[in-house]
Amino acid sequence: MILIWMLCILLAGGILCWLAAQRQPLLARWIALITVSADLLIACWLFPVYQAFPDNSSWFINYQANWIPALGVSFHVALDGFSHILLLLTYFLGILAVLCSWKEVRERTGFYFFNLLWTLAGISGVFIAMDLFLFYFCWEIMLIPMFLLIILWGDVRRHYAAYKFFLFTQAGSLLMLLAILALYFIHGQQTGNYTFDYFALLQTALTPSTAMWTMLGFLIAFVIKLPAVPFHNWLPDAHGEAPTAGSLLLAGLLLKTGAYGIIRFVLPIFPQAAADIAPWMILIGVAGIIYGALLAFSQTDLKRLIAYTSVSHMGFVLVGVFSFSSIAMQGVVMQILTHGLSTGALFLMAGMLKERLHTRDITKMGGLWTSMPRLGGMAILLTMASAGLPALGNFIAEFFILLGTFSNNPVLSIIATLGLILSAVYSLRMMQKVFMGPLISTVPVVDLSARELIILTALSISIVVLGLFPQPVIDTVHHLSTIHPLLHE
Amino acid sequence: MNELQLIPLLPFIILAMASVVTILLIAFRLSHTVIQVTGFLMMCLVVFATWYVRDTLPEEVPPLFIVDGQAALFTGVIIFCVLVIGLFSYIYFEEREENPKEYYILLFLATLGAAILTISQHFISLFIGLELLSVSLYALIAYLRNRNNAVEAGMKYLVLAALSSAFLLFGMALIYMEAGSMKFSGIAEKLPQVSSSPLFLMGLGTIVVAIGFKLALVPFHLWAADVYQGSPTPVTAFIATISKIGTFAVLLRFAQTIHLQQYPLIIAIFSVIAISSMIVGNILALRQQNLKRLLAYSSIAHFGYLLVAFLPGNEAGTEAAAFYLIAYSITLLSAFGVITLLSSREHEAETLDIYTGLIWRRPVVATILAISLFSLAGIPLTAGFLAKFFVLSAGVQQAVWLPLAVLILTSVIGLYYYLRVINTLFGTSGTADVMQKTVHPFFHVSTYITLVVLAGMLFWIGVFPGLVLQGIRLFLLLH
Amino acid sequence: MPVQYYIFLSIVLFCIGVMGVLMRRNAIIIFMCVELMLNAVNLLMVAFSKMWADAGRVDAAGAQIFVFFIMVVAAAEVAVGLAIIVMVYRKSQSVDINIMNRLKN
Repeated sequence: MILIWMLCILLAGGILCWLAAQRQPLLARWIALITVSADLLIACWLFPVYQAFPDNSSWFINYQANWIPALGVSFHVALDGFSHILLLLTYFLGILAVLCSWKEVRERTGFYFFNLLWTLAGISGVFIAMDLFLFYFCWEIMLIPMFLLIILWGDVRRHYAAYKFFLFTQAGSLLMLLAILALYFIHGQQTGNYTFDYFALLQTALTPSTAMWTMLGFLIAFVIKLPAVPFHNWLPDAHGEAPTAGSLLLAGLLLKTGAYGIIRFVLPIFPQAAADIAPWMILIGVAGIIYGALLAFSQTDLKRLIAYTSVSHMGFVLVGVFSFSSIAMQGVVMQILTHGLSTGALFLMAGMLKERLHTRDITKMGGLWTSMPRLGGMAILLTMASAGLPALGNFIAEFFILLGTFSNNPVLSIIATLGLILSAVYSLRMMQKVFMGPLISTVPVVDLSARELIILTALSISIVVLGLFPQPVIDTVHHLSTIHPLLHE
Repeated sequence: MNELQLIPLLPFIILAMASVVTILLIAFRLSHTVIQVTGFLMMCLVVFATWYVRDTLPEEVPPLFIVDGQAALFTGVIIFCVLVIGLFSYIYFEEREENPKEYYILLFLATLGAAILTISQHFISLFIGLELLSVSLYALIAYLRNRNNAVEAGMKYLVLAALSSAFLLFGMALIYMEAGSMKFSGIAEKLPQVSSSPLFLMGLGTIVVAIGFKLALVPFHLWAADVYQGSPTPVTAFIATISKIGTFAVLLRFAQTIHLQQYPLIIAIFSVIAISSMIVGNILALRQQNLKRLLAYSSIAHFGYLLVAFLPGNEAGTEAAAFYLIAYSITLLSAFGVITLLSSREHEAETLDIYTGLIWRRPVVATILAISLFSLAGIPLTAGFLAKFFVLSAGVQQAVWLPLAVLILTSVIGLYYYLRVINTLFGTSGTADVMQKTVHPFFHVSTYITLVVLAGMLFWIGVFPGLVLQGIRLFLLLH
Repeated sequence: MPVQYYIFLSIVLFCIGVMGVLMRRNAIIIFMCVELMLNAVNLLMVAFSKMWADAGRVDAAGAQIFVFFIMVVAAAEVAVGLAIIVMVYRKSQSVDINIMNRLKN
């Protein structure tokens, strides 16, 4: 029940923001901040519940209510350790997204926060839905507000980017809908019980070819969202043109829904088909790592550069998931968390720079260290995190993934390691172009304000903490090694 | 036939009386408002009558009619639509025409035609219903005769509809020759012996042409955009909803009675029509700058989707089709209602630039339009999503993969133009606020409230379809 | 006389009607062609009614009743149709349907 309240708080908060902004835009900001904070508090409060739960490998909150009984659709939400940390990430980044739009959004404030909160509601719905119909429902609900965020508050080429984002993801999700329906009918015909419930559908027995086709329906939707080469095309545009908070949510959360979907649905429901397609997926993942890194190196647009690093980092996720090793799986979860934090932070920085310099072109930046030492310091930490420097969260994640992959696929994991080197190269290039060298911009810039400092400090601290003490996170997702038979071995 | 058998026909008799009463009211020179209110009450009476006769269903009134749950369901939807359209008509015609009263006679007659289609089980009643609908529509489309477009649209519809009904009759004659009966069940009996005869198939084919014309399916869709654009907006809403519901209902009954879907050839023909409607409709809509034309092309595509639910020919398909029609009618009524509300005496609110930034000027109206567009696009939280969902699930159940794949592909294309309109709604505009019409405050406010209720229904059905679904099942069981 | 003759005649009449509708540009002639098509169907209906009556069907008279319905409806169609054509003529002093292309933006 508490999970439904979390969703309702966000949805109601969004509507309140819209109404409140008619009178006073400032009010909308505060409402949004309070709403997301309340959800974060609830999510934190669930920690002791989780610790107190006797068997910490399973669903410690499970709530089911009838929704459309005629179709076997129920409002089934549940929470395990994995979903829980994703929820924490969602609300943490949600607060930062509200904070970073505090000054940036000046027009239609209420509607902006409405969209922001509804996107968050959709994302949290995706992470907790245990009914495939509900899952699809939430999966779609997060798209529309995101589309509006990009198209209304985005940059110059926002129309193109928003349509591309929407059509790509929508094509994938309709295929997923078809796959969900196929699964629903196959299960119904086998057992006579027509239901969309996740736990029931887990028991479906599928012939190999049906399993492969159905799985592809799911997998394509998730891989587009992730995104993996060759479906990554929408990502640089959408990330580049979205407002700062939009990029933060896209990189930090929306991409994670793809990874979440693969781990939660594709592996457990289609164990055999997933094992069959694994080599191809690892190949795609490695291709993404290298290709993303190379393209990131050649970008001059700061936000597009960061966007391509996401492609590269999410390649690691794909490799880790399909290498079927428990260590790699732990690495994947760490990667989901730390990539959300570090890339989100980089996008925030890009937003802050853009607010000051009115450009995203890194050839027009340079020598900013002298005037912005605080931002520079933060930037070094965050880019190093993104490049996978030891002692920071991303290092552990990528190290675990490579470690897990090496045992069953040494060649590809060595190639993937090249990605780490390339990431150091593009990160250093970015730092060098933006902060070092001669001062190019003539616009007088001011250093970080207190609000911005708080945002970046919070992110930096969490990345460092995750790098030094990853064990709590790894503990919460220990049970993920039961989702696929190969993971046991 | 005895008087007991007349009882199930009570709603239809009252519907027929509605136009007679309207004629009398006009003869006594009563005002537009009186006619509007009386019409409204008569339609409510039809609803009550349907409720009153519910226990006698299903009842056959041989040889022409059968009143069963399915007929009652579709008639209910039709009456609901005409209630809403009648309300929209008041503010629309009060502004434009010095003499808007006869409009209601035609409106009720056309509704009667559509309602008769839902209960007909014989070629004669099919033809009478269809012609009652068409002939009234000729006049309705051209009703605002001082506008060039209206007469042009009326003329186009007239020629093509007359042509299509001639085709329909020719097909009927050929089928009659082979089967020796004009009753659907009579044809079904003879069917095994004649189903391979070329003349019979030719007859079926020409009937499909006529039905395809009425439903504006590709390749018989050429009239749709022009007629949608040229007609008065409430009439456009009528063509888009009632006329198509009636025609689809009779197609459904014909198909159910003679088990049309067991013939691979027929399935192939309908698949091709469905696929080409989805593709052509969506692609032609892409570049439209006129909202009414855009909705015309989108409705071509939507009836393509609907045919996908029709193809399997099973219970789930019928249910999905009924749900789809309900969701689709509410959606289109709210969209056309917004157009009606925004139209001024001189200009139809049909070009997209009128809608630029509407959300900042008239937030409620624009939100309603946005919701209905989301529903057309099939986005969750709206009725359109579940409608599409049911169609998909009916298709998956029967494994008609090719039309399903096309459905998915084209709905992604379709998203693009709906999003384009929504984007326009949210754009920035320099134009000042549209003049508020307060000529008829009562009807203006009630139109407004109706629109809000319609949008609320879209949400409600989109989130809690259980009740509607149960209702549909309950009705469909009565056969 | 065998029923094939009627079928043949009707199909010829019907096709003439279809050709006329598709090829002529004069609205009144188009309308006449539609009437021709309807009458072809009437002929067909009467012929089939006789055919089935000879074959012993008791309800074969239904088709002849249908013919009356068709005639009535055709008359109604003409009434409304001619009214619209008159309006067209008043607007443009012509009944040529080629002038009708103002729609389509």
